[in-house]
Amino acid sequence: MDFSEAADRISRKFQKSGQTIDPKKIEGKLRRLIEEFSVQPSEAERSVINELAKEFNIPSMGTGGGSGSGGTGSSGTENKKIADAAPGEWVTIEGKIVALAAPASPAIAQGGIIADESGAIRFVAWAKANAPAMALGAWYRIESAVVDEFKGIASLKIHSGSTIKEIEEDRTLMPTTVPISELHPGIGSIRAKVVQEWDASHERMLQSGLLGDETGTIKFVIWKEPGKESLTPGSVYNIFYSQVDEYNGRLSLNLNTAMIMQEEGDIVVSGGEATVSGAIVHVAPGSGIIKRCPVEGCNRALSRQNYCPVHEIQPKFTYDLRIKGWLDDGEKTHSILLQRDVVESLTGISLDAAKEIAENNPLGMDEVFLQMRDKVLGRYITCHGREIENRVLVNKCERVAFESGKHTALLNRAGGAS
Amino acid sequence: MSTPAREMGRKDASFEREPARRVFASELRECRYQFKDGEDEKSPTFVLLPTGERCNRIFIVGTLTEKQRQGEQNIFYRGRVVDPTGTFFIMAGSYQPEAMQQLAKIETPAFVAVIGKPTLYRKDEASTPMVSVRVESINIVDKDTRDLWVLDTAERTLDRIEAFATGTGPDVLKAKEQYPTIDPVTFRKIAYEALAQIKI
Repeated sequence: MDFSEAADRISRKFQKSGQTIDPKKIEGKLRRLIEEFSVQPSEAERSVINELAKEFNIPSMGTGGGSGSGGTGSSGTENKKIADAAPGEWVTIEGKIVALAAPASPAIAQGGIIADESGAIRFVAWAKANAPAMALGAWYRIESAVVDEFKGIASLKIHSGSTIKEIEEDRTLMPTTVPISELHPGIGSIRAKVVQEWDASHERMLQSGLLGDETGTIKFVIWKEPGKESLTPGSVYNIFYSQVDEYNGRLSLNLNTAMIMQEEGDIVVSGGEATVSGAIVHVAPGSGIIKRCPVEGCNRALSRQNYCPVHEIQPKFTYDLRIKGWLDDGEKTHSILLQRDVVESLTGISLDAAKEIAENNPLGMDEVFLQMRDKVLGRYITCHGREIENRVLVNKCERVAFESGKHTALLNRAGGAS
Repeated sequence: MSTPAREMGRKDASFEREPARRVFASELRECRYQFKDGEDEKSPTFVLLPTGERCNRIFIVGTLTEKQRQGEQNIFYRGRVVDPTGTFFIMAGSYQPEAMQQLAKIETPAFVAVIGKPTLYRKDEASTPMVSVRVESINIVDKDTRDLWVLDTAERTLDRIEAFATGTGPDVLKAKEQYPTIDPVTFRKIAYEALAQIKI
């Protein structure tokens, strides 16, 4: 890594305030922070500037740079394609602002996504960088920004040493969509269908669910923000510049920054019919009789206090049955979710009977859970349904029956060679 | 079907619940080797079966013949679950309150299904290790379920014996090293006898 450029830049900065500092000394400090202590380059630069500003008693040095550092233009960094920007590099890029996001912290002035023909990258402009605000849809040349990596996702950091110039461009940028199976952490564009809508797990969540295409499915989330709209289940969308996050090895999409266009047509989503057989080894809390939000199109499970994460207290809830659990065949454990009619046929407890118990038994809904658990835990069943994200949504199931043919075959197999 | 997910490395693989292995009491009783997969405090512990498979969790169905409450401050329950081949020793303490209460409630004798974690322990340094099963869940089931379990367990045991004969996987090699005096073929006979006890 080349420290001299950054060191010169810092040195020039201090020159303007009347201090001469040997770039070699600055370089040494940067090198120590970055190489010995693995500090991010932008953070190292900030920290060296602040340290020196303190040493020479120059107030507000760290925040004073940005627009004033006209001298850096001469540094001659080559323009980079966004797709080629690798973590740890100082880069100069030209691109179009395709998304702006609300800053997550007061330390951030602006965040969003900048794209060129080769790809797109997240960017963050630190508040201390005093950088001019960039406008959505405009093209900019960003010099001396630093690419770093957080949780495996590259992002462009605009710090006090970076310069930003708006440039005249009216190229149209058309992102290329990729199959869901080829998405990787960062920014991605897909064409996909909304295959499922899930209960919101957080009150700030507008919608979450599953998007699918011919190659697979991926979880998505949209957080509540002015102007954000929910997607319609069953519809197909072109989704450009979505954030692709990774958690526990699994990818998910955050659509808040994405450009979303509904489209005609349909997609045959992969994630096919599955049949799994085994013993129920766990019945999870939240099984049994549950209350659902009565607001049209919501249907979320309510808390015990009848609280919907979106529509708050709903005293006029509707009841439903479900069983969440694990089905285990001795080799693999499948997460299963049984819907109401499946629960009724497996347990022999109808929704009406369960309601009766819930409302009249001193244990209430817990009693339904216990009765159902006692009827299914440890039993062998075969489930049919769709397998999505390692969970089988069961629409039909039956108890495994004893097959004397299998018994005989096993006796032969065990006795055969002895 | 049986791609070993653990080979992908724990860090990258999404969470996979450890499957509940099917094993007869007479095989589980022979276990002497227990190990941790990984350095982490939370890494799972496995007991190695003589037929060459690791198990962190097992699923057993048998007859609960005895149970007893023990301990003064820390109450726990012990029980014996009998299958056609031998006896499982199960226990549930205050760290598994639900399992403990379930076990407390069940009147012996009864057919029960048990999901639990096998662990090795020694009474003292000199004695041979014993295998006991820490109960995660226990529930009363019917005889049909017991019969299905015997079929299931016989089939899985025969699968393991066959894999052991030809296998070169790390767990098979480890089992050959740890249990040099045990010939897994004896478990074939045991499986046969278990199957033969089911009356049609």
